[in-house]
This record gives sequence, structure tokens and C-alpha cells, in this order.
Amino acid sequence: MLQAARTMPDTLAHPAAADARPDLIVVQGVSKRFGSTAALQDVSLRGRAGSIHAITGENGAGKSTLMKLLAGVHQPDAGEIRMAGQRLQLRSPAAARAAGISTVFQELTVLPNLTVAENLVLGREPRRAGLLDHAAIHAEAQAVLSRIGITLDPQRSGASLTVGEQQLVEIAKGVSTDAQVFIFDEPTAPLNRAEVDKLEQLLHALKAQDKLVFYISHRLDEIFRLCDTVSVLKDGRWVATEPIGALTSERLITLMVGRELQALFPPRASTPPGVAALDVRSLTPLAGGASARLQLRRGEIVGLGGLEGQGQREIVRALAGALPPAACDVQRLGRDGQPQAYDPRQGVAHVVALGIGLVPEDRKLEGLYLDLPIADNIWLGLLRGLGLVRRAPRQRAVVTDLAKQLQLRAGSLTQDVGDLSGGNQQKVMIGRWLAAGVDTLLVEQPTRGVDVGAKAEIYGLLRAFVAEGGAVLALSSDLPELIGLCDRILVVRGGRVVGDVPAAEATEEGLLALALVDAPASAPGVPA
Amino acid sequence: MQPANAPVWRRLLRAALALPPAYAGLLVLLLLAAALRPQLLSAMLLPLIARQAAPLGLAVIGQSLVMRARSIDLSSGGVIVAVSYLLTSGYFEVSDATAMGLCVALGLVVGVVNGVLIVQTRASSMIVTLAVSMILTGIVVALSQFRAPGDAPEFLRELARLRVGGVPLPVLVWLGALVPAALLLRYSAYGRSLDAVGSNPQAAALSGLPHLRVVFAGHVASALVSVLCGFILVGFVGKGSITLGQDLALNSLAAAILGGVNFGSGRGGMAGPAVAAFMLTFLFNFLTSLGLGEPGRLMLQGAIIAAAALVYSRRR
Amino acid sequence: MTALRSGIRRTTLALPVVLFALLALAAPGFLAPQNLANIIGQITALLIVSLGQMLVALVAGIDLSVGSVMSLAGSLVATQADPLLGIGLALLLGLLVGVVNGLGVAVAGIHPLIMTLATATFLQGLAYLVLPIPGGEVPASLRSLVNGTLWGVPQPLLWCALCAGAVALLLHHTRLGLHLFAVGAQARSAQLNGVPVVAVTVSAYVACSLLAVVAGIYLAARVASGDPTMGASFGLESVTAVALGGVQLTGGVGSVLGVVTGALSLGLMTNGINLFGISPFLRGALTGVLLLAAVCAQRRKVVGL
Repeated sequence: MLQAARTMPDTLAHPAAADARPDLIVVQGVSKRFGSTAALQDVSLRGRAGSIHAITGENGAGKSTLMKLLAGVHQPDAGEIRMAGQRLQLRSPAAARAAGISTVFQELTVLPNLTVAENLVLGREPRRAGLLDHAAIHAEAQAVLSRIGITLDPQRSGASLTVGEQQLVEIAKGVSTDAQVFIFDEPTAPLNRAEVDKLEQLLHALKAQDKLVFYISHRLDEIFRLCDTVSVLKDGRWVATEPIGALTSERLITLMVGRELQALFPPRASTPPGVAALDVRSLTPLAGGASARLQLRRGEIVGLGGLEGQGQREIVRALAGALPPAACDVQRLGRDGQPQAYDPRQGVAHVVALGIGLVPEDRKLEGLYLDLPIADNIWLGLLRGLGLVRRAPRQRAVVTDLAKQLQLRAGSLTQDVGDLSGGNQQKVMIGRWLAAGVDTLLVEQPTRGVDVGAKAEIYGLLRAFVAEGGAVLALSSDLPELIGLCDRILVVRGGRVVGDVPAAEATEEGLLALALVDAPASAPGVPA
Repeated sequence: MQPANAPVWRRLLRAALALPPAYAGLLVLLLLAAALRPQLLSAMLLPLIARQAAPLGLAVIGQSLVMRARSIDLSSGGVIVAVSYLLTSGYFEVSDATAMGLCVALGLVVGVVNGVLIVQTRASSMIVTLAVSMILTGIVVALSQFRAPGDAPEFLRELARLRVGGVPLPVLVWLGALVPAALLLRYSAYGRSLDAVGSNPQAAALSGLPHLRVVFAGHVASALVSVLCGFILVGFVGKGSITLGQDLALNSLAAAILGGVNFGSGRGGMAGPAVAAFMLTFLFNFLTSLGLGEPGRLMLQGAIIAAAALVYSRRR
Repeated sequence: MTALRSGIRRTTLALPVVLFALLALAAPGFLAPQNLANIIGQITALLIVSLGQMLVALVAGIDLSVGSVMSLAGSLVATQADPLLGIGLALLLGLLVGVVNGLGVAVAGIHPLIMTLATATFLQGLAYLVLPIPGGEVPASLRSLVNGTLWGVPQPLLWCALCAGAVALLLHHTRLGLHLFAVGAQARSAQLNGVPVVAVTVSAYVACSLLAVVAGIYLAARVASGDPTMGASFGLESVTAVALGGVQLTGGVGSVLGVVTGALSLGLMTNGINLFGISPFLRGALTGVLLLAAVCAQRRKVVGL
């Protein structure tokens, strides 16, 4: 699967004498827990001045957590962080900034009710005689933007910026301080080609000024193009730190993944799929937007792929009734093959009553009842379609059986769900729909933040679900997952389904090519 | 969490510590009363205190239902004043039974208005219910200038006085509402949906649970309960009054929190708040017997609400 | 630059204008100078306390204790013979209450409605302790500051101008002002930018309580005596005034001009009730209706509290 031979990129960007620079940041034995999840365990690494240092790894490897420790958002439970030999106590983002560490977070922090200029100076506003110096704010903003080569009117409101423009403002904010260390967390996701080029120029300039840039990404092509050093994290532990010259992308992937991928996925369906559970002839989630067309048949797992933010989420949410579509021509057939009156515009309750369940991406925010016990979280599915005045069904037997089926690893079923690991939490969410007896699952990111062992079990659950006549539509940004888990993969681009590939024949390059509009003929690297 | 072979006493201790503050509070209070004012514990006064607690006990049932759904109802003051006026002013030349029926209709209207505004326009429920209370009180006070409130219906005055087997009737009414409410909470789809809606409204909505209907139903129930409180209070006082039940809303909030109900959660079941209602009433009687007046009562009430809210915010 | 977050729309400005026109046309004696001066005198207290309420609303909070703070402050100056002592005590009180409210909301995570309701109840009890029944006497020197004119301008107007000017300066020309808007819009983003969210929130509640103290002192001086329930209606009235003035109760949007129009609208309504001879007890009911209309018109995502 990941077998394409990679040519080593030109080493002109990486002079051999790079090792002479001093260590600027030293992370020593750092650990961090969130509840029962160990996000980082005994991680140590070093970053030099005058270096663009990639931090990479799979989902859930701990990259963002490590950078948040450096950014002062969290504090380590153990270990220490040193900068130029001095031990750092970064108790807040302001403290990190004061220490000379500037961070561009993955989550955008542009405030909608402030102008661009105000956003740029927020936290270090220039003052004159105790009062805000508006002229200086404007001048400074103008200077920063032109230094970086961004043409944005500093008087524009934060709310009026597109996502790409917000990201540029974030970057400008990060670069405009006199920091020694810069952290960029997945900065290119919302940027177009021209903006990405600009960012790369910026990074090279920083490196030339002897700054240290930590660059979190799992886009291998960017890492090989930009960075001179790579540190790999896996499951919260440090795996390796190597100069880029010593790596090939194959070796890098092996370091990141480090296991046999084949053993992860259960075998695909051997029998052909049945009737269509969902026949979407045309679905326009957003008014004036593109319309999608797809079919989901019983007995199959269909994947929804493509680059992030191309409309996959809108399609799933529209089908689930959570985002009433602007227009739709959809048909649903029940288990018995009879058509059902399915209209996603009538809302979630209607869709759920028909037997379609949504497993949302953000479990903590939208999926789980964190302060209720596991048993309740699962059992509440039984209330599907009951209305309010009926007597609630009995609990015990259903839940115990399901917990076994789900292979839940928990002390007892009365434990609060909030204390479980990501994998177990994901299983509980799926368990609730199993208890509800739905026959179609719409899943967003089936294994986000889930460890390897649980991933395999969840894939097994989904496969068993469709084997009994269910249907699963799985939205995923993880290409190996799509290829391994699904029977068919639909590639979405600009809100349309542009490709329908049987998974047995799919390759990551092929899927990526379908997903990109202006990709070169051979697209190297594994995208996000 | 707790290994199965932990000593029994340790498990009991844990369970006891997990109880809402009302239980411990009541225990401490009873002990203090036994030491300082033992007459409060006499067979004569105790049933009277229980009777006095009945309106609060009822109000806290309604408040629990809305609080568990992350909402609040502070309109009981206005509803009770309106009920008192409707029953005693003789504005409409109708029988007592019809007047009581009108009060129930009023409660229904208020509950629906609260519910619709809160669910449809998503306005803050505290502000909505306070504003509705303001409106009702304002109208009643203005009307009272023309036609003063009069005597309470005989039926209600009897209800307040009667005892059955030594237990005052209002207390039986309280229990008569408490037991079905507890059963509803535990065994009906509504009650269990309430757990979900309170814990994570977004997840409940995405699971297809009737999130909005749960909130709406809670507000209608709470308003109807306020009408019932009004009936009992009017019976206690014997005549209409424009200051009736003004502190019931805040007291029901305090009692709910002390009884283990917080916004979005309800670990105390229905028993916790009931115990808290009795505890608060006992507390106020105790303080009065010690010579503490209105100022002290208000200060204590404020401190209790803040302390209870603090305890619960830390637990979360 | 700041029109961006003022929240003022055509309807916000139109309301007081329409009310004024209506009353000028239909109400007897509305345009008499004495009546107009009366209106200003009456809305001064509301305006001052609403300015404070706006500051708290900017950080997505609410302060229902302002009424009790006003009552207590008024009672303090009415029971202290030395005006400086009375004012000093009252200001100290405002500071303490603001800090307690702010810490409760920002550090302990208690919902502002609950926290301020608790302090409101506590302070009301305290007010009864200080002044059990309406009475006391406000020192003459203080009284002279609120009645009459100074340099030809009615003194209440000067109080309004001073407070409005100070708050406007805070909002548009200080770091704290910018931070208030930032925290109200998205506290988490503000924090990641280095804004000290807890300090900013506490400052908002302190400023609100201090303004309530000023309003309470003004009101007591105007009436020349104290009343432990003097401020009772101002809690909800100030929320009505800010909501009518385009201030978003969800935070991040608001302006001094908006608060002025909101307070003016309420003041005109009260004046209209007096002039038309409608029962003054209905004023509470009408304020309730206005409050409902104002909050229902604002968009929110959350259902419930």
C-alpha cells in the first residue's frame, strides 16, 4: 500500500554544518495526562537555533499536546523544559510569549469583533500615557502585514475574514513578536497554493535569522521540502529525532506507524451488497452550493474521503437531519425493502426514528454524556422513538450483553464515561446506536483519538454491523483507514462526489489524485 | 472505581459523603436544635414545621425538573400572587371551584408562555421567568388598588387546617406530588431523557431525543406546581395578599441545589430536594427562635446559595 | 473602528426618538422644561447603573446584585454623618462585592446569574441591618451635589456626562476596554493571545459594582434620605436598558451610546405613564414586557439558563 518509492529531495536547503548550532529548546522527560489518558510519556527532544524542526506522528501521537506545553496552555505533570539553558515555568500563554515562544495554534484565535489591527496587537497593545495608542496600533499592523507581504486592510473586522485570511493573520501575529522559538501547528490546512508559498518563504527567513521553528504536520511532502530535522512521536512517546538527510519517506512512515497495517482491518465483505439503504439522487446541503449523489447499500461500508473541508461533513450532517439541506431528493428503503418516508429536513428525531444514527466526530462535545455512567450512555439508545410519556424499558440485560459485544475495557458499567479512554468512549457511542437498533450508521472519523488496539476492535464492530444487513457511511481523513475498512470509497471534492473507487483497487496516490484539482501527475507523500 | 473487596464501612462512608449537603445539614441542624431549642423537636411543633415546608417542598419538585434540563423557573412569585388575587378578590362572580379551575388555566398559560419563549427564542430562562413574574405582580398590584384581595375560599382554609392521622393535609398533598414525581423521574422516558438532556443537550439532540420538548414540559409542570403552592399558601394565610410567596422562587433554588440538583444534573433524586426543603424551613424556624430576623435570614440565604453553587462547581 | 462592536442598529436609535415624538404629540405637559429636567433627573441613576451592567454584559456576564448594592450604598451615606466616611465605606463595599462576584464567576465557575443572585440576597439582608426602615439623613453637602445647576447645567446631567464619559474612555481608549470585548467574544481565544481573562472579568464586575455604588449615592442624595429597598427594581431595569441599547448579553458587543438610548427609552416610558395617568404599579409590568421583548430579540444558541 505505502510502497511507492520516494526520491530523496534535494539537500540544498540543509547545509551539512547545521549541527554546530546550539540547542535552543531542550525538552526532558516530559509527561502529561488528561484524566485516564496518557497524552505524553517521558518525551525528550532537542531543538537547535536556526532550524525548522518537524514534529510528526499519527493522530493521537501527542504532537499538539507537546506543543501546547511549550505554548504555556498546559503544564507538564513531570519533566522539564529548558530554553538556552534556563529552566522554563510556562504557566500561561502570556508567560510563554514573554519567554520568547510564539505559537500559531491549529485552532484559529482571531476575534470576530476586533479589527485585524487590534487582533494583531492583542495582548501587547502599544500605549501612550496609559491610554491605547490607536495610531501606533494601525502603524504597527500595517508594518507587520507588509513585512510579511500580506495585503489585508487592517481596519477589516475579524468576522469578515475567510479562514485562509484568518490563518495569515495568525501567522502574522506569530511572526511579529520578537520571539526566538516559533511553533506552527498544521498551518497549511486552510491555505491555498499562493498562501502556502508565502508561508514557506517566511519560514526560511526565520531560519536564516537563527530562530527555531517547530513545525507540526503530517504532510510528508511539506516536511521533506521545508524541514531539516524531524522528531517522531507515537502514542505519546518519543520515537526518534533525525536530520532529514538521513530519512526517506518510507522510513519516516515506518517510524510513525511502526506496525503491520494489514492486521488492523477485518476482511471485507465477500457477499455482494444488498438493496440500497440510502439512495441519494441529489443532495444540496448548503443553499447555492454543489450537490452530491451517492448510494449506500446494505452489507457494505462506504467511505467518504477527499481533502478536509470539501463538504463531506455537510453531506453526512444533512443526511442525519442535523443540518437541514437546502434541497434533497433522497430515498430510503427499510430492512424489508419497503420505501420509508425519509425527509432529512424534518430534523434529527425523524431521521433517528427511521433507523439512521449519526456518530459525531467530537465525542465529548456532541456524542457522550460525560458525567453519566457507561450503562446509561448505552441504554439511552433504547429511548429511540418512544416519545415522552411511555415507560422506559428495562436496562440491565441489554447493557451487559452489549458491553461484552463491544469488548469494553472498563472497571464497571457504573463508571462515568468521562473517565474512559478514547477508544472505549468511541465504542460506547457505537453501542448506544446498537442498543437503539438502527440499521444505518453515519460515522464521522470512526477512530479519531483512538489507540491502535481499540481501532481494530471498532473496525470489527462496524464490519459485524454490516454483515447483519446494516449499512455504514464512514467519513474519514485517514486514507489507510478508508482503504482498509471500506468496501467502496467515494472521493468528495467541492461538495461533489468525483470518484467511486472499490477499495480493493484503491491506492493512496490514486485517491489523492482524485481529491486534488491541480495535482501534478505523480503526487508524492501521504496527505493528512 | 472502588475495588470490590473494600471494607463495607469504607464503601458506606463513600456513599454517605456522596449524599447531597441537605442530609448532613439536616442532621447537624437537628442536633443543634436538640441542644439549644428542644421544643422545636416536640410532637406539637414538628408537624407544623413540616406543614410550613409543604409549599417549598412542592416548589422544589417543579424547580428540580427544570434545573435538570439546564433551565430555571423564577416565576413562582408572580404566579402565586396572581392565584391569590384570582381566588380572593371576587373579580369574577364564580364559585370557588371555578376560580380554582381558572387558576390552573392561568398556570398552564404561564407555563406555556415561559416554555415557548425559552425554547423558541432561546432567551435566558432566568430573565424570562423573572420578567413574567414582574408582569404578573405588576398587574395584580395595580388591580389591587381598585379591588382589594379578600378572604380565602373556605375549602382551602380547611385544607390548611386539617390533619389525617396526625399528619397535616398539606404535607400529604406534598407527598402526593412527590411520589409520582419520583416515579416519573425514574421510570418514564421523560425522566430518563431528562438525564441525557441535562448532561449534554447537543448529544441528546443528535441522538434524536426530544430535547426541546423536555425543557418545555418542565416549565409547564413547574408553573402548574406553583399554582398548587399558591392554593396551599392562600389557605395558610386565610386571605389574599400581594406579598405572598415572594421568597419561594429563591428558596426553591437554594433547596434544589442543597438537595443535590444542579444545572444539568440531579444526583439527589427527588428525595434530596425534599429533605432540603424541610431542612431550610427548619433552619429558618430555628434562626427565628434564636432571635435572628429578616436581615440575618436573607444574608444566610445568599450565603447558602453561593456556598452550594461553589461546592457543585468544584465537583464538576 | 469601534462601530464594529457597538451593537447599535436603526431600531436601537429609533426607539427613544419614536417615544419622544409620541409623547411630545400626545402627552400633556411633556415638553415643559420642568418635565424634561425631571426626566433627566430620573434616568440618571438608571443610566449610571446600566453603564456598569453593560461592562459585565460585555464579558458575557450579568449582575443582578446592582440593585442591592445601590440600596446598601444609599443606606450607608444616609446613616453616616460624615459624607466622606459614608462614600468611602460605600466604595469599599462596591470593590468587595465586585471582587467576590468576579472571582465566583471567573475562578469558581459559578454561573453569573446564580452568583449575583446570591450576593444580591446577602446584601439586601445587610441593607436591612444598616437601615431597617426608610429614614436616615443624607448630609447636606452631598445633597447639594445632585440638585440644582452648576454653571447653568442641571447637575444630574453632569453626573450622567461624567460617568458616560469615563466608561467611554475605558472602552475605546484603554487596554482593559479592548480586553473586555475580546473576552466576551471568545474567552478561550483571548486567553491564547495572552489576555488575562480572570483579571479582566473581575475588573468588569468591580467596575459594575462601583458604578452601582455611585448610582445609589446619587439616588439617596436626590431623595435626601435612605431606603433599604431603594434599588430593588434596578437589577432587572438595568438589564432591560442595556438589552434595549443593542448590548448583546452573550458578550463582545456594546456601546455607551446604546446604553444611553436604552435608559432614555425606559425613562421616557416611565414619564409617559405618569403623564397619561396610568397606574404607576403597572410600570413594573411594562418594564417586564419591554425586557421580554428585548431579550427575545437577541440571538442565542443555548436553550435554558
